[in-house]
Amino acid sequence: MLMMATCAAPLAAQTAVTPPVVRTLALHGRRDVAMQLAQRGGAPLEVTVADLLVARGDLVRADSLYRDAIARQLPGYRTALAGLAELAARQGNTADAVRYAARAIAGYQAGGAWSGDDLVAIGRADAVLGAGDPQAFHDALRAFDRATAADSSNLDAQVRAADLLLDKYNAPDARAGYTAVLRRAADDPRALYGLARAAAFDNNADPVVDARRALAADAEFVPAWLLLAEQELQAEAMDSATTAARHALALDSSAVTGWGILGAIAWMRGDSTSFNATLAAARKLQPRPADFYSEVAEAAGRQRRYADAVVMARRAVEADSTSARAYGVLGENLLRTGDMVGGRAGVERAFAIDPYNLWHKNMLDLLDNLRSFRTTTTARFQIIAPADESEYLTLYVGPLLEAAYDSFATKYGYHPPTPIRVEYYGRHADFSVRTVGLTGLGALGVSFGTVLVLDSPRAQDIGELNYGSTTWHELAHTFTLGLSDHRVPRWMSEGLSVLEERQAGKGWGFQASPDFLAAYKGGVLPTASRLNEGLVQSHFPNEIGLSYYEASLVMEMIESQHGMAAVRDLLQAYARGLDTPAALQAVLQISPAELDNQFDGWIRARFAAPLAAIDSSDGRRPPTGRFIDMMAHAIALDSAGQRDSAATLYRGAESLFPDDGSEDGAAWHLAEQARAAGDLQAAAADLHRITMHSETAHEANAAEAAVRLQIGDSAGALQALERDQWIDPYQPGLHLKTAELAEALHKYPIAVRERRAIVANVPSDPAEARYQLARTLKVAGDIAGARRELLALLEQAPGFERAQLLLLDLQDGHP
Amino acid sequence: MKRFALLALSVSVTTPLVAQAGGATRVLIVSGLSGDPSFARTFNTAAGAVYQAAHDRWHVADSDLVYLNEDPTTAAHSTGKSTRENVAAAFTQLAAREHAGDVVLVLLIGHGAGEGAASALNLPGPDPTAGDYATWVARLAPATVVFVDASSASGDFVPVLAGPNRIVITATKTAFERNAVEFAGFFANGLASGDADADKDGVVTVAEAFHYAVSRVAQSYDATKRMLTEHAVIADSSHLASATGFGGRASSADPRVTALLGQRRAIQLQVDSLHRLKPTMDSTAYQSALETLLLQLAERTRALQALQGAKP
Repeated sequence: MLMMATCAAPLAAQTAVTPPVVRTLALHGRRDVAMQLAQRGGAPLEVTVADLLVARGDLVRADSLYRDAIARQLPGYRTALAGLAELAARQGNTADAVRYAARAIAGYQAGGAWSGDDLVAIGRADAVLGAGDPQAFHDALRAFDRATAADSSNLDAQVRAADLLLDKYNAPDARAGYTAVLRRAADDPRALYGLARAAAFDNNADPVVDARRALAADAEFVPAWLLLAEQELQAEAMDSATTAARHALALDSSAVTGWGILGAIAWMRGDSTSFNATLAAARKLQPRPADFYSEVAEAAGRQRRYADAVVMARRAVEADSTSARAYGVLGENLLRTGDMVGGRAGVERAFAIDPYNLWHKNMLDLLDNLRSFRTTTTARFQIIAPADESEYLTLYVGPLLEAAYDSFATKYGYHPPTPIRVEYYGRHADFSVRTVGLTGLGALGVSFGTVLVLDSPRAQDIGELNYGSTTWHELAHTFTLGLSDHRVPRWMSEGLSVLEERQAGKGWGFQASPDFLAAYKGGVLPTASRLNEGLVQSHFPNEIGLSYYEASLVMEMIESQHGMAAVRDLLQAYARGLDTPAALQAVLQISPAELDNQFDGWIRARFAAPLAAIDSSDGRRPPTGRFIDMMAHAIALDSAGQRDSAATLYRGAESLFPDDGSEDGAAWHLAEQARAAGDLQAAAADLHRITMHSETAHEANAAEAAVRLQIGDSAGALQALERDQWIDPYQPGLHLKTAELAEALHKYPIAVRERRAIVANVPSDPAEARYQLARTLKVAGDIAGARRELLALLEQAPGFERAQLLLLDLQDGHP
Repeated sequence: MKRFALLALSVSVTTPLVAQAGGATRVLIVSGLSGDPSFARTFNTAAGAVYQAAHDRWHVADSDLVYLNEDPTTAAHSTGKSTRENVAAAFTQLAAREHAGDVVLVLLIGHGAGEGAASALNLPGPDPTAGDYATWVARLAPATVVFVDASSASGDFVPVLAGPNRIVITATKTAFERNAVEFAGFFANGLASGDADADKDGVVTVAEAFHYAVSRVAQSYDATKRMLTEHAVIADSSHLASATGFGGRASSADPRVTALLGQRRAIQLQVDSLHRLKPTMDSTAYQSALETLLLQLAERTRALQALQGAKP
């Protein structure tokens, strides 16, 4: 049919023009032809013409035609009623929306035979009614299903059913629905767009891919343009987002979302004139523009402008006190700013209006669970953690956070407001819900500014998390966000956080890897000035992780070449409202292109040797090249017992890529060989190369500690154990070993902390653990602390003789 | 602090202390079919630890200490094969001597099976059921019975065995928790090593051993990120678990020691009393009074050790 539809006249001559024919044409980018045919179709197609006008944003004419069709009881008048209900709902006219929707479904409950188009109209009307009566969503779904059951080729009904499922946060079923439609019509833009929206909803895939497929099928499919605009906005590509939003509005000026996106961009750029213009445009469409404000609020939240998001969300709520979306975005962002009471109230209100919202349900469950968490206060932090981890975690992260604050405050010349709220979650799913409302987030920590949310060590398998570096990383965001008034681009904030991890000097943070070098050499990583794209839109596995590392290198280069003052100036330039090109020009006197060139030269110089030994790749295949071959050959020789030859190759590989600290790299194999040969000094040095390059190298740290103890390097062993506790803090014996070693080295603060950790970790013999803590406190000279511990212990176990005698010693003043 | 209506005895063999007056302790350990060498080692280790503690630390007479296992040649202290007949005979042997105030510890270790009254520990040959054990345990009256089925699928022993003057512990909540359990090892270790002695009074009560084992089991599963598949249960309708223990306090024929021990007991009672008053007291006054008492207690302990020649 489409092949024939090159122009209206031949088609009209050959084919009966029906609403489905017109709709199909419109969905395949032939809107003008569709309109011509529909307009020539007279009364039977009047409602279809109105539908086409709605898609073009000509709502006034559409409204008029709908009314005429209803008045004349023309074919499809139920569709006209549903259309009027939808138009009224878009304008925020709830009373009219309900009235028209009720008329559309009149008589439906009484049964009888209904056409597919009527059933779809009834479903649409029920969906409108669902805003005030959530049960009506079920009725809508049933109506769409009935339409599909009556005619399996009714793709309109199937797409609308899937849309409704996705609107109600059921992405898997929605995705199944869209996929079923695409099996019948591989280029249905609505279904492709639906898949894109589902991907954006649950982060299951790159939504841009399907959005572009939808536009390939219908270049004028406005929702896909809007989704692209939102994705560009999320990637902080403001110009691209503006272009896409304007394109959408040129096709359909009634798209409030488009005005909302432009409004968000204007707001974030501080362009009040443009903001007011977009607001005025939105007001014409929706006198109480709750959706516009909600759109701006959501965008502000995505850009980490949480305070702005709250301001906008409050305006949304003021505009429409029945908007679940407005209350939801308000609650979400209040929670991000640490207003737990206000945030909960917002989410509760939203959930009362829309009980299908999974995000709200998850969040309310989590907030209930959060009541069982324990809060510990330090000088500048509130540390919230599960009751069974709180005491232990606070021992470590309390001092770490305070030290990090001091370090960053000195470095950035900025003191964020306190207290800073730091939440740890023992279940990754809870962390994920707290962060994005849904499970499945790949991150380990998130900073909302002065609210940090992180996985606790229990939330991840050993080797997946270094909770010290993650905490350090997230707190660095607090400084970069605060200093830039939450306007620093994501890539720079992430780059600085990763760089701060590395500069902590504990082997933390992303490090150079063959994967990174191969991908960089292959040109598949974004250039320095386009790094946001790599952080938001993943085109190959691990692109995000590699982009984080690349961002940290960019900031390392800037800091090394221009000094920390330049980094501070850049952040403050963003605070003044400058965008990246302007900030780069103002502070570094370079353009984005020059930054790209400088960085490319810098990285090629810095990694010259390994880049020469690693082939370029597309990021999807494992890296190849001389370095990789050498390692593979060495491992093969090692396995075959040819250790000397293997060692020569390992050392050769190391000389090609000295920064490779991977846990199965040359250093590990050389350490194994050295240990086997009894050369423990060499083994310790090899292991140390790993532990200073891999923040989750539990085995290497444990091995280094053991080897250093064997060679009498107790101080080195203690450092390795201390590094290991950020990786695997709950391993049996770790804290006892550390405590004993620290005490032997007269490092009493560490010894006391480790004794406290043993007590906090529910030891098999709690009384003995507390006794040892008291004893160590005494040795450390903290007599008052030791007495306190002993009294508390003996209150519970007065018969504990050694504790009694230690108390007596304290009383007698014995050393 | 727990009460000391102790039924088990112990004396320090290195000092001139003698057993205090009280009832006798008797122990029956039944270790079932292992089915696998690693299980055999686990069962033997747990059973052997309890046997050793009963023999060496609780000073249970040989005639009151029975240890049956699947193959007596593989276990150091086994007194016989754990057949149904031998188990029944052991109960008969123990029952002949029971008096009020005595304590009988029955510990079953191994793989369980069945449901309800038909629940059983797998033994060489026919398996006695929970109902059989109930019949045998009934003969132990008037002694206090601590019946511990530390085997898998043991949960249904509770309703069959529970009763007055009995503490019944099972490693699992139901008969459907059939995976091999870790409870037995931790319970035996807690009981035998004294690690479970939370208040360091030298006596491991049944409650302490139970809570120790439950806690260790949970930590073990948690450490290896496994779903907890065993949920131990304690039935203690007579509230005996905190007052029934193994191990013991010292006593002596030396009047100076006896006097000091008496003083310590008196001070500990004062600590108990003070502790009860804590909610009504000013915290500073409470801490001060507590410290005074604890120092007095410590002085008595130091004096006792001086008499015994022990190093502080």
